Amino acid sequence: MKRLVQRFFDAQRPRFTEGGRLARLYPFFDAMETVFFAPAHTTGIGPHVRDNLDVKRFMTLVIVCLLPHLFFGMYNVGYQSLTATGRSPDFLPACLIGLKAVLPMVIVTYAVGFFWEILFAAVRRHTISEGLFVTCMLFPLTLPPTTPLWQVAMGITFGIVIGKEVFGGTGRNFLNPALTGRAFLFFAYPVRMSGDAVWTYMGGQAAVDGFSGATPLALAAAAEGQEVVHTVLNQAGYDLWTLFLGRYAGSIGATSTLLCLVGAVALIAMGIASYRTIVGGVLGMLATGALLNLFAGPGTSPWLALNPVYHLVMGGAAFGLAYMATDPVSSPDMESARWLYGFLIGVLTVLIRVFNPAFPEGVMLAILFMNVFAPLLDHFIIKARLKRRMANT
Amino acid sequence: MNTLHVSKGYDLPLTGRPGTDLDVLPRPSRVALLPEHIPFIKPKLLVKEGDAISCGTPLFHDKRHPRVRFLSPGGGIIDAIEFGPRRVIRRVVIRLDETEAAESFQRFEEGQLRQTDRSALVEALLDGGLWPLLHALPFRDYPDPETQPPAIIVSLGDDEPFQADPAVYLAGRQDLFGYGMQVLARLAPQVFVSAPAGAGDALQAVSPWITHTVSGPYPALDPGVFLYRTRRSPADNRTWFVRGQDLLLMAGLLRDGRYPTERIVAIGGPATQRRRHAITRMGAPLKSMAETTAEASVRRVVGGVLRGFTGDADGYLGFHETALNLLPAGDQREFLAFVRPGTRKPSFSRTFLSALNRHRLPMDCNLHGELRPCVACNACMQVCPVEIMPQLTFKSLLADDIEEALAHGLLDCVECGLCSYVCPAKIELCDHFTRAKRRYHQEQTAA
Repeated sequence: MKRLVQRFFDAQRPRFTEGGRLARLYPFFDAMETVFFAPAHTTGIGPHVRDNLDVKRFMTLVIVCLLPHLFFGMYNVGYQSLTATGRSPDFLPACLIGLKAVLPMVIVTYAVGFFWEILFAAVRRHTISEGLFVTCMLFPLTLPPTTPLWQVAMGITFGIVIGKEVFGGTGRNFLNPALTGRAFLFFAYPVRMSGDAVWTYMGGQAAVDGFSGATPLALAAAAEGQEVVHTVLNQAGYDLWTLFLGRYAGSIGATSTLLCLVGAVALIAMGIASYRTIVGGVLGMLATGALLNLFAGPGTSPWLALNPVYHLVMGGAAFGLAYMATDPVSSPDMESARWLYGFLIGVLTVLIRVFNPAFPEGVMLAILFMNVFAPLLDHFIIKARLKRRMANT
Repeated sequence: MNTLHVSKGYDLPLTGRPGTDLDVLPRPSRVALLPEHIPFIKPKLLVKEGDAISCGTPLFHDKRHPRVRFLSPGGGIIDAIEFGPRRVIRRVVIRLDETEAAESFQRFEEGQLRQTDRSALVEALLDGGLWPLLHALPFRDYPDPETQPPAIIVSLGDDEPFQADPAVYLAGRQDLFGYGMQVLARLAPQVFVSAPAGAGDALQAVSPWITHTVSGPYPALDPGVFLYRTRRSPADNRTWFVRGQDLLLMAGLLRDGRYPTERIVAIGGPATQRRRHAITRMGAPLKSMAETTAEASVRRVVGGVLRGFTGDADGYLGFHETALNLLPAGDQREFLAFVRPGTRKPSFSRTFLSALNRHRLPMDCNLHGELRPCVACNACMQVCPVEIMPQLTFKSLLADDIEEALAHGLLDCVECGLCSYVCPAKIELCDHFTRAKRRYHQEQTAA
């Protein structure tokens, strides 16, 4: 196996190196080859030994943590589809329907994302950074399962090109590229990104009578007058446990808080995601939810009285906090700033959910908003830190 | 005695620590001096090939300070003067003869030292070619002989993997060390001696002179870290330092009036067969110093594995270096490397199962990845012993904003190499900092 792969790459190499017909596409060859073989590069200057961790493994581990979301998302899309159309939601058919709905989106995302990355890598003569693979895994997981493939292509194009490459590529972007792409779709094609009709994949079948398709967040936002939000949710079949496990209609991979928790713990344990951002975000959501409880009363929106824990398990907040807010490039660099950054994401998420009727979900905009403010948070923390430092010039 | 604990830094879990047994290496037939590896100097040759010289004859001086001379570490004939690219002098090789004539230098009786003029000692060190064993922080160039430092730090021991053990090179030399301390007391108003905590009995003989015991991960024992943790005012930043073994050389020169050449060298690293200390001489050839394990190709690192330079098989020890570490070259491609669990792949991060492996592991010279843009993982910030924010300082240097980098503490950088070591994007952070400091120093001294 190893030898076969090696022979294949050695045979292809002349085409991609200096003088070969595809020399401009060397980044593509390099990206493919280094998937199989760690390069033989040795240290030129000291230190003579280097850590085994590289960006490839760093990013691969994030993808590994996202795979359960993909698989569960596929199952859940199928499950929702089967129940909505009145069929029996067995495991295997659910998986197959989900596969049919989700896999094309994932493939289109990777194909289009990879195309742009190679184009920029070839023109700018840099290597392909593995951050792309994470972006392309995150992006479809945040979409409704009914998104048309051409919109998927548009979204990832916007995310990669405008969200990342125009600023110089991975490491230089200030917005999370996957969320940038999603925000683009959200505002450019609101009909396919919001409302009650987009969250359940029908696969050409008719819905059963009385099917609404509303997500828990939409139900919560729609509660009026004397209604109590968690009763409304319970009546629709969304008790806390269901919400926690994630078997409800929503973005493909973002519904399961349980998986987000597992992924977040794994990423924190490996030191890849900042626990400060995640814990800060959770605290921000709980604190804001609890604060709003104080203002709840007759005449106010029933949202205000909701137990703050519900905020954590509904919609994409947990997914956003675990995988999007922790993107180190668009987060603040300073560890202490990450507490505030996470906290404010949590606060904004709840505020947007509760007070902005146009947006049932707030985590996407909250993260993008705080991405923009991350450099400012850094600026003040660094200034304070340098003030304490004894000068040496 | 004060204790100092440094919490930031990182101990590489590397195998190959040299044992404390001491070998005596046979007298070599050639020795060399490597101007290329003496930082900052602009050497002007004073000899040519074929000249007969004695031990202690000046071979070249530094054009910046012609009084600073570098002397021959042996007597015989100049065998070769080798040049590298752009006429950089790579090495001056001396073929030793049997008798080895030696120059004589001014001697100072121990009793006289207190009454001796400071300038007389400075002159003697300049004449005796050992002035460049002193280093001036923050640039680590040798100090300008005209200046006086606020203090001198004597650092006993170096926790870089792997350097000579002070217990080995100080054994039986406490008188010489005491003499050296008296010399330093004339050179600076204050002398600090830092030693590793927990050395226990090993440093008992010199314990009266030790002012600070230092604990913590590498590079806690570096004089730059010591200064960062103990300085009281910005003026202290100009403190000098000298390494323990170098102080013994300086003391030997002034006490005996002969150019001392004895060096105790640590021979270690995972690819070395017999890891030990050895008595040899300054500029000794690397060839017969260490036997490699069966590995196909090895790299000979002269100095520690983080800050040393690569020596060729027929290379020599440098003027400053007292260690030789052999590492597997690591120039092979590894199949599906990034998905392996990595129980034996050491990493600062917790992304390999080696995080659960308490054993020291072999490392090689593979880069373990390719250059990528910084992904702000903050590993460098976590290891930096002097609390620079390396990834941000590096970005300000890329933007040519030296003022910003200085404000970040660029000059506090002790060039320990840990930031480059941990970087998953394989950015040569330490090299960027070292070169920026060097450029700044050259601008400062030119002005």
